[in-house]
Order: sequence, then C-alpha cells, then structure tokens
Amino acid sequence: MIELRDVWYRYPGGPWAISGVNLRFEGRHVLVGPNGSGKTTLLKVSSLIYRPTRGKVLVNGVDFWGLDGRRRRELRRQVVYVHERPILIRGTVLDNLAYPLIMRGYSREEALKIGREALSTINAEHLAEKRRKELSTGEAQLISVLRALILRPKVLMLDEPTAHLDFDRREVLLNLLKGVEVLIVATHDPLLVEELGGSLIRMSGGRAEYEGAHDLSKGFWRRGNS
Amino acid sequence: MQLEVVVRSLTVSGTATLLAASWSVPLAYFLVKSRSSRVLIPLLEGLVGVPTVLIGLLLYMLLSSKGPLGPLRLLYTPQAIAVGQSILITPLITSVSYRVLTHSWGRYGELALSLGADEVEAMRLVLSESLPGLLGAVIMGFSRALGELGIALMVGGNIKGYTRVMTTAIALEVSKGEFELATWLGIFLVGIIALISLSLRFLGVKDDRTP
Repeated sequence: MIELRDVWYRYPGGPWAISGVNLRFEGRHVLVGPNGSGKTTLLKVSSLIYRPTRGKVLVNGVDFWGLDGRRRRELRRQVVYVHERPILIRGTVLDNLAYPLIMRGYSREEALKIGREALSTINAEHLAEKRRKELSTGEAQLISVLRALILRPKVLMLDEPTAHLDFDRREVLLNLLKGVEVLIVATHDPLLVEELGGSLIRMSGGRAEYEGAHDLSKGFWRRGNS
Repeated sequence: MQLEVVVRSLTVSGTATLLAASWSVPLAYFLVKSRSSRVLIPLLEGLVGVPTVLIGLLLYMLLSSKGPLGPLRLLYTPQAIAVGQSILITPLITSVSYRVLTHSWGRYGELALSLGADEVEAMRLVLSESLPGLLGAVIMGFSRALGELGIALMVGGNIKGYTRVMTTAIALEVSKGEFELATWLGIFLVGIIALISLSLRFLGVKDDRTP
C-alpha cells in the first residue's frame, strides 16, 4: 500500500508539478486529467522514482525516503512503474524480460526461461529474438507491461498503457492486468476508465481534486479531460 | 622519421584522452545527479573553446623551473603535452557526456529504478546504454587533442625525436616552406581521426534505439 502525505514536487527550475497531494493507493485507481495536470509526475513520485520536494511517501506505513539504501531497494522492488513511451534496453526482447529478473538474483538461464514462458502467455513467442528497433511501438509497449508483470509486483503503475495499442493488443493488456492487486493507471482513454473500474482520481493543476468511486454517469470525461 | 612523429602524436593524445575521460565521464554523471550542473555546465561549455596557447602559457608558468611544479621537471616532455591536452579536452568531454547522460538518465535511469534497481544498478544501465554517445564524446576529445598546436609547442618545445608531434611537425614544415610534406601530414591527421571513428562504428558500438 502506498500513501502520499502532503506531497509536493517541483522539477529543477520549474513550477510545482504537483502540490499538496494526499492520497492512499489500495486496490484499483484510475488517474485522469488534462495534459500537464501532473498525472505522470504523481505516478513517478508514487512509484518511488522521484523523491518529493516536500511531504512523505509511505510504503506499508514506512516513510520510504527516510530509509537506508538497502531497505529502499527492497521496498522499491514491490512497486513497478511502466512509462507511457515504452523504454526497452539494448538486446533482444528476451534480454529485456530477463533484465529485472537477473537484477533480482535469478540466473540468466532461469530468467530467460521465465521470459519465454511469459511471451507464450500472450502468444508472442515470435518476438523473443527481436531487438527494440525491430518492434512496433505497440509491441514495445506490450513487452514493457509484460516485463513489469513477470516481476509479480504488489503495486503496478501504468502511464497511458493503451496509447499505442490496437484493439487485439488492448484486450491482451486487459487480461494481463486482471490479477494485479494494487493497480494505478493514468489515462486519457474513457473506455479504459470504464473497463478498469476502481476509484477515480482527477488531477488538475498539480492537485488531486477528486477521489471516489468512478461513475461514468456523472460525466467525468467532460470535466476537463483531453 | 615521420612515422615516429605519428606514433608519438597518437600515444600522447591517446594518453591525454584516457586521462581526461577517466575524470570527465564520472564528473558528467555527478553533474547529472546534482543540482550544481546549472552553474557548472554553462561554465564548462564556455571553456570548450579556450585557446590552446592560453592553457599552454598557464602550464608553462606552472612547469617552468621557477614555477610551483618546476621540481617535477616535466617541461618539454611528452608527459607535459599529455597533461596539457587532458586539461584542454576536459570541458569538451564533460559537457558532451553530460548531454548524453542527462538524456540517458531520463530514460534508462528511471527505467532501472521503476524496475526495482538501486542507484548503482541504475548507473550501470545508464552507462551501458550511453556507451555510443560517451564514446562519441571521447573521440571528439581525442580529435581535439590530436589537432591542437599551442600546448604541444609551448610545453613540448617541438624537440626532434622527443616531443615533436604531428601538429608541431606541420608548423615546422610550413615555416621551412615544405608545404607538400605539411599537407600530407595534415591529410594523415584527418585520416587517423576518421579511421578511429569508423572503426568504432564497425565494431558495433552503435545505437540501436527505436527511432
């Protein structure tokens, strides 16, 4: 469980990107709001990538940024964030899937085996030996999500996960997300909001302005989402 | 005889480049991770174009027998040229590496952290993914060192068989009116730089990032 207490974040030399956010992430959450409202920054602060300029990020009740490096790494491994624009490292798709597993102490053989199995679950074995420049953006995005999911994170944060996906791959993605315990998704996609359910958080001008069970009949989409 | 000059040029400038890279790349990484870069990077960028004779002069004053580093007896040695060239190319390698690493940290540093890495693991990934760009920065530094004249002349002294390098040899041949030899040396100088750059490309040190 992730909790933000009066969290503020400012990029060097810039204005406040998020200001005074208090949130508690348990279960499913969908983050909506116009471009520049602070969704991505909020996700990066919540997923322990950015250290807040002010305020606290608690993981299971513990102040993450007050911990030593070793303990931080342990907690960081429970939370995985997937970028809006897929980022793959040098090497093949299998190397990409194996990378975080090897970082967690798996042997290369074990990691590659898990990677192959993961690819077979989405019928994408043919991508195994492809390199990043040989993939479409949609394929790269799906691989990024798969790379996150094989780590079995307790908390998964996705930034615009359907931005580059066609209908079939979107279905694959939704199936993959079914078993995730704590899921936070930032999106502009009204259908995805409906499909994921959970509580809705509206970002506007760096503030989390609304929190509650999501109800499409209230027309949240017309209230400033682009 | 000219081959010996070429070998010396490569050795001296290669040493200078290795020296400069050994502190410039870590410095660039440190600047990416710290907020002091907002002051230091514009300063370093300004120093990229510093005249080589100015560094030569400063080094000459430091290394001359009455200077503070005089007892080291480095003046008019290949080592003095290497030190001077390493100082000359430090701002260039640092500022180019800084640009490369800033971009890389934004992508791969964040990616590593998002997948549960600690700072050291993130640094490893960032450096590995930045290799083509960092090598580019180092080659730029090497080219600048190989092609400079002021430092080699002032602290090297252009001593035949000891501190004569390609640029000082070209300058000497021109002063003697031997333009043909000077031109050939110049072509050779540019050829070496192009060859090194191309070799690294063919060795596979290239970027395969998605466009």
